[in-house]
Amino acid sequence: MNLFVGSELWPYILVIVAGFLPTDVWRWLAVVSARKLDEDSEIMILIRGVATALVAGVIMRLVLFPGGDLEALPLYVRAGSVAVAFVAYLLLKRSMLAGVLAGEAVVILGAYYTLPH
Amino acid sequence: MPKPRKKAAPAAKSERPDSARIFLHGARAVFTSVQAMVLFATFIGYGGLCVSLGFPLGATLLSSAVIFAMPSQLLVVSGYIGGNTLPVIALGVFLSAARLLPATVTMLPYLRGKLWQQLIASHFVAVTVWVEGKRLLPSRPANERLPFYFGFALMCVTMATLAAWIGYFLAGSLPRPLAIGLSFLTPMSFLIALIRNARDLVDYLALILGLVLAPLFVWLKLPLDLLWAGLLGGGIAWLIHRWKRARRAA
Repeated sequence: MNLFVGSELWPYILVIVAGFLPTDVWRWLAVVSARKLDEDSEIMILIRGVATALVAGVIMRLVLFPGGDLEALPLYVRAGSVAVAFVAYLLLKRSMLAGVLAGEAVVILGAYYTLPH
Repeated sequence: MPKPRKKAAPAAKSERPDSARIFLHGARAVFTSVQAMVLFATFIGYGGLCVSLGFPLGATLLSSAVIFAMPSQLLVVSGYIGGNTLPVIALGVFLSAARLLPATVTMLPYLRGKLWQQLIASHFVAVTVWVEGKRLLPSRPANERLPFYFGFALMCVTMATLAAWIGYFLAGSLPRPLAIGLSFLTPMSFLIALIRNARDLVDYLALILGLVLAPLFVWLKLPLDLLWAGLLGGGIAWLIHRWKRARRAA
């Protein structure tokens, strides 16, 4: 496997082996087992917690330590956009659109005033 | 549209509906679904994010079609950029995708068919198809549900993959501030969706712990940062939830 790390094929291998298979195995398992699961059983609540924390974590990693071209945007703009999106969502009748638009405005204006273009 | 040949046709028709026509009905339903429009916006943002992170176009489109679950896709792309090893990325994806099991199980009653048909059908279960499936399928006759579902789901994946390509193309041609704005669209909307979808104490705690622990662990350069944030954040949230409930019961 190390042979492929960093090669042109690497992202495709990751998509199939680290993305597709571990995702679809749950979908297939559901079909094969087809048991009625108690969504409020202890194990399902634990799994839900881990999944939620993971997704929240990957979002924060993408926003605060994105790498690539996004790292050029100052950290305070990236962190500020999330904070503004969150506050706007809470203040404006829990509207997802309002939250996203407010956060986007911070990102775009921040990029406009802090980056060469 | 072939006309029924004889009087016997209606009876046969009720057993075997005109699958192609119903498949197209399903495909067309995508274009009147608000939920599907949100999906496409998310995938446009995903395409833009992939450009900024240097993820190749082919892998971006492949991931949209064969994974078709945005949290898994974000974990793969983020892991690729962070230089994580394959098993670490796979384990993170595996843990985050577990929520697809109960979602798929609740879809199955509407997707009666042969095992291989169900296995293929299950691939499309993610938030959009799950929500819209539960809205659109119950009112249809039982024998029309599978072709309708396949029409809807296949059109969703096709349009989502196309949307990712559009986002990839847009990010390359928009002025820089707008391209960067596009890259943040999907992480931002997913964060708000997480807050909106939180129902119980355990959801809120896991969300807050994940938000705090993940950057902390990355900053501390802890190996397997995201995995620890997920396991610890989810584990602690669950323990507090248990403790609270035990106290309530006592």
